[in-house]
Amino acid sequence: MKAVRLLAFGWYFQFKTISRSPFEGLFQIIYPLFFATVAFLMFRAGTDQKTLLYASLGAAVMGMWSATSTTAGGAMQRERWHGTLEALVASPPHFSLILLPITLAMSTIGIYCLVATLLFGRFVFGIDLTVEHPAAFGLSIVGTVLSFGALGFLFAVSFVRFRAAWALGNLFEYPVWLIGGFLVPLVLLPEWTRPISWSLAPTWGMNAIRDSSLGGNPWPDLALTLALGVGYVGLGVLVLDRVLAAARKRAALSLT
Amino acid sequence: MTSARIFAVGGLMSYRALFYWLSPMIYIPSLVVAPIFQILLMAYIGRSAGLASDEFYVVGNAIQYAAIPCLFAMMQLVGGEKFQNTLGAILVSPAPRLPLFFGRAVPVVLNGAFVAAFSLTVGSLILDVHIPAGSIPALALVIVVAAFSCTGLGLINAALALRIRESAVLSNVFFGFLLIFTGANVPLSDLPGWMRTVSDYIPFTHSIEAARQLVHGASLSSVLDLVGAEVVIGVAYGVAGYLLLRFFENQGRRHATLERT
Amino acid sequence: MAVVEAIDLHRTYRTSTGTIRRKWIDVEAVRGVSFEIDKGELFGLLGPNGAGKTTTIKMLITLLIPTSGTAKVLGHDVVKDAREVRRRIGYVFGGERGVYERLSGYDNLRYFSELYGVPPKEQKQRIETLLELVGLKGREHERTEGYSRGMKQRLHVARGLLHDPPVVFLDEPTIGLDPVGARELRATIASLVEAGKTVLLTTHYMFEADALCDRIAVINKGEIVAEGTPAELKQNVAEGAVVEVEVFGIPDQSVEQVRELGGVRSVTVEERDQAQVLIVQTGADVELTSAILGQLDGANVGRVSRREPTLEDAYVSLVSSEE
Repeated sequence: MKAVRLLAFGWYFQFKTISRSPFEGLFQIIYPLFFATVAFLMFRAGTDQKTLLYASLGAAVMGMWSATSTTAGGAMQRERWHGTLEALVASPPHFSLILLPITLAMSTIGIYCLVATLLFGRFVFGIDLTVEHPAAFGLSIVGTVLSFGALGFLFAVSFVRFRAAWALGNLFEYPVWLIGGFLVPLVLLPEWTRPISWSLAPTWGMNAIRDSSLGGNPWPDLALTLALGVGYVGLGVLVLDRVLAAARKRAALSLT
Repeated sequence: MTSARIFAVGGLMSYRALFYWLSPMIYIPSLVVAPIFQILLMAYIGRSAGLASDEFYVVGNAIQYAAIPCLFAMMQLVGGEKFQNTLGAILVSPAPRLPLFFGRAVPVVLNGAFVAAFSLTVGSLILDVHIPAGSIPALALVIVVAAFSCTGLGLINAALALRIRESAVLSNVFFGFLLIFTGANVPLSDLPGWMRTVSDYIPFTHSIEAARQLVHGASLSSVLDLVGAEVVIGVAYGVAGYLLLRFFENQGRRHATLERT
Repeated sequence: MAVVEAIDLHRTYRTSTGTIRRKWIDVEAVRGVSFEIDKGELFGLLGPNGAGKTTTIKMLITLLIPTSGTAKVLGHDVVKDAREVRRRIGYVFGGERGVYERLSGYDNLRYFSELYGVPPKEQKQRIETLLELVGLKGREHERTEGYSRGMKQRLHVARGLLHDPPVVFLDEPTIGLDPVGARELRATIASLVEAGKTVLLTTHYMFEADALCDRIAVINKGEIVAEGTPAELKQNVAEGAVVEVEVFGIPDQSVEQVRELGGVRSVTVEERDQAQVLIVQTGADVELTSAILGQLDGANVGRVSRREPTLEDAYVSLVSSEE
């Protein structure tokens, strides 16, 4: 119960600081719109009669993923720049309870990106959003945000040794867009990429959002994306313990 | 002689000092791997939309991605100095301005051309796009011209970096703009009329078209008008950028805004 | 029982030089530091930059594991029971970083209240009290990016005290503050001890240690070179005298010659405007003023004075004696 409270308040305060930054906030929302525009123009001009709504949903989740991938990898570096990392590590709770709300706050920004892309599609390209199962749609978005935050947490702890963690995080923007099947059906991709797609929570989050909007059964997808999210957090905690032990023992991770 | 030295040595030194991307931990993910991913992403979206061939996307995105090194490096070279508070020291120096700023541009052009050539090569190998051996020298020329032209835009970007706090945002906006308007991914004929008009006056549009024709086996002489247009665009942007830099430098001296970070 | 107990702490860093052919060098930042702090004491760790103060404090607050040696806070081992230690200590560092700039001072404190598990019902009252204590009342709802350096440092102090810890570690809390701000902060620190807390303070300001601390350990090059009350430390040099000579353009060899004189304990040179001040510590029973002036032959000599030693002189002779 205490842990839940800590997660909730941590998320609240971190979300507050991020959404007050013009850079992290506004730009995160605008940048995916360039890619959305390209995608809309391509699908509009293409011969394959896939609905533009398919592209709109895909581009919207692309934006959600950008919000996470471009920031979460550098989550610990960001605290170091603020000079707050030491104070956070020196506080009593397990550091994962402090870091996870930070990456969750980052992925929450993705909701803005999703909404902005859908609105952009609606008002600039005239793509109507139809939602078959509104409740499931909402839950799918929340589930996707949670699993993105979880994957961001795994990125944050895995990249912490690299000074240019942000560059590594950015690197994962395009491949997940592609392998997650946001705009390209998985069957078009080479066979060997299939296990990678399946192990990525974004793939299932995308499916859940698409199914609940276009009509389909989103629940198995939603369950899978959440389960994978839990797995990422578990893995991240193991990595984090090792990172922190190394930091204290070998001063390998400069905390300031 | 002095101008030549400021041009060559000064340019290279400042590039090394400020362009910390030269660290492999940043260079490899951002400038070697990411463009390949962009090519693959766009080629597969193209397949999914049933729009154009792989070749179309390999050429378009390899060249368009050169915008990242060209825009960011120029921004870094000027904005980075503002950030490190060394800009004042450079601006009070009596060094002639033209070689000072253009000297900085040469390594940027070469690096941009390398990024484009490398992604074109690797992208072609992965997606099995055939490039005629005879076209390679002409392609190399087109790539250098494309990088030159975008570096002209980079100089404008650098000038604006003197005034804008979040200059990295601006570079990304230019990059996204080029992604849409240059025909790298959406065939020019499928762009709305006003967008097509814009595309005629920006870097990359002509060189991407020229490169596509070369890959199809056209000769250099048949694309010379496109190459010429790209050179003219590059010079125009470069001159505009230079004038803008001088303007902001003067403004900065008058209003003490240069050291504002 | 001692509240803080450090026994033979060592800490070695490995650093590498060269990018292509890496050479690993072991740097001993702390080499056998031991001390005890009793309940309610304000203990000062005094030393020049790079002496090992911050490394020592980081081992005590569980951020670094000692290479060897042990340390306990309130009986809890800083390595094995890190979490128990963290619950019971407050940690304040100087400097203006370390706050969330886009949050208000109040929100910064709220966030850390959650991290330190301050019961929700008590948070509000606790934050009010601390804002009062550090003098930020009335400014707490402004974003901290608009705070002055001193305000940020006072916010650090408030943050370190949120959970009302019995032991507080202050790492150069007044660094870079203007004289008025530093004095106010020192008053706050003094009030912590009155409230019954045990405090470890690191500083390189002599007068600060002199004014605040019950006991001082002088640390130099990773070792404690002297320990005692301020008065005891002064005692070490009390039988001596200090001769100060103002010189305009002092030749290096003259300094060496003064150092060679019988009865001279230490020689330092301070730059002051256009002049240098030669500070010579001597034994009490010798009168070296004229001998010193004799070595400065040819230099342009200004004011000459002879005075009683201060804590600063004691400190200088301690940290320069091994050179």
